[in-house]
Amino acid sequence: MTQLTVIGVGNRLRGDDALGPLIIDALANQADPRLELIDAGSDALGVLEYLEGREQVMLIDACRMGRIAGELVQFEPAEVNLILTDDPLSLHGLGLAETLQMATSLHLLPPILKIIGIQPETTQFNSQLSAPALQALDQAIQQVYTELRQIAESIIGET
Amino acid sequence: MSRDLNIKVHHLTRVEGHGNIVVNMKDGVLETAHLSIVEPPRFFEAMLKGRSFHEAAIITSRICGICSLGHQLTSLVTTEDALGLEISEQTRLLRRLLVHGATLQSNILHAYFLAAPDFLNVGSVFPLIATHKEVVLRALRMKRVANDIGDIVSGRAVHPITPVPGGFTRIPEQAELLEIKRRLLEEALPDGLETVKTMQALAGAIPQFERETEYISLKHPAEYALYEGDIFSSDTGLTSVRNYLEVTNEFVVGHSTSKHTRYNRGSYFVGALARWNNNHSQLVEEAQAAAEVMGLTPHCHNPYMNTIAQVVEAVHCILDSVRIIDKLLEKGLKNEKPNQTPTRYGRGIGSNEVPRGILFHDYTYDNKGNIVAANCIIPTGQNLGNIDADMEQLVPEIIAKTKEEITLDLEMLVRAYDPCISCSVHLLDVDFIE
Repeated sequence: MTQLTVIGVGNRLRGDDALGPLIIDALANQADPRLELIDAGSDALGVLEYLEGREQVMLIDACRMGRIAGELVQFEPAEVNLILTDDPLSLHGLGLAETLQMATSLHLLPPILKIIGIQPETTQFNSQLSAPALQALDQAIQQVYTELRQIAESIIGET
Repeated sequence: MSRDLNIKVHHLTRVEGHGNIVVNMKDGVLETAHLSIVEPPRFFEAMLKGRSFHEAAIITSRICGICSLGHQLTSLVTTEDALGLEISEQTRLLRRLLVHGATLQSNILHAYFLAAPDFLNVGSVFPLIATHKEVVLRALRMKRVANDIGDIVSGRAVHPITPVPGGFTRIPEQAELLEIKRRLLEEALPDGLETVKTMQALAGAIPQFERETEYISLKHPAEYALYEGDIFSSDTGLTSVRNYLEVTNEFVVGHSTSKHTRYNRGSYFVGALARWNNNHSQLVEEAQAAAEVMGLTPHCHNPYMNTIAQVVEAVHCILDSVRIIDKLLEKGLKNEKPNQTPTRYGRGIGSNEVPRGILFHDYTYDNKGNIVAANCIIPTGQNLGNIDADMEQLVPEIIAKTKEEITLDLEMLVRAYDPCISCSVHLLDVDFIE
């Protein structure tokens, strides 16, 4: 039974932006029935479809946070300022920040939403995952399992 | 009026140098009016070279999250042309259903999230959530139905997995199609007709600007062309997709890293308005009626009306999807296997109408079924010259307005075309609250 929804966001063709989808691939190999896995690709608005009605969601994305490449930070939307695109010229300007803002205003956010942000080294088209990003990939997977353990403990705690 | 005007709007400023509007006028003489944007084909060939025919569509579908399905289906058509893979009528119908879903989704999001805030002069969609929550929720409901068409027919809405060269690896169940049909009729259609009323109410805010240009789209003998057809120019009529290079004539301009295109004139228009102008009589009746209600007439030369043409197409896609589902069920769903036995190896050219306009892929395969050359011409690249030409005529016409008003009119113009800025990588920019 699903306890945690994990959504990976990013473009597989763009270096470290591939982290979100690659983490979903790696988790899919584990075939853990407690996880619902969604590769949202780089259609950020599409993430809206997977927030509503979920209890507990982890969103994994490459984030520009001013940290060193490969650094992983876990945060909740309320803890940070997500910078919105000013006057987008096209639908391509509506990204994850805009999606989360919209979900917040429409009360579509799940009760628990955690974001795992990973500072990318490169997001050039047709580039490979960088060495720091590769390390972050393993760390993010561990983080997902830590989350699962905490959920299990809280379930035991309640009973 | 003699006036100096300098507008430089850096959009998507996180992506340096891309998506900028630049206007310079000196002593009342317009020196510059253009948009600079980067497009993907520069690395298109590099990504595809050496790849097998099984991989091409998967890779191209990942270029851009928003244009994913358009690239994927065009890639499949191109590969099938190159390898001589025939497809069945059922595959053709299922692909048309997918295209309708993607067009519906993109057109609705554009109309509600980009154009409507302009027409209401509120800057972005966010104030609308507070003032017009029902309207935003309506947009999201329609998006969801469109998304679910993708899920059911292609396996996954974001990165479709079941469409492959020669057909589908999985055929949807009858019950799934019936459920989609029910939601199209009970949810999407009423929402679509409400959308028409909303846009009718906002139509007064659409700038009155006319510039006749050449309109290029696909044309199909039997249907409103979105999937397959021949190239049609409003100036010179039909030509085969095989001649696409003679139509696009890409050339380099100084102010943009992406090439511009021209056919019979200095520039041409692709997208919903071009499709409307060229093929409006093939739309379902309800869509034609919606056009009339919203004031969209045949041979419309106002680029801002592209948004209205998108809403007209949304109505068409909803009802034509129902017709396609009926046809599929009438014939009975067959558990066909994709035809993946090449009968030749060589060059293939494919073209479809994606939401932003006509898209071309062109691959050459070696006799092992691997790509040795590839080309792609996207709609936005084809519209760039036309956007510049619009700006060059528009700025002198509205020069009496304030700089802010002129800037907004120019931004609205660019948004009307909904350019693909695939370089705008969707990284979350995060500031930690200390």
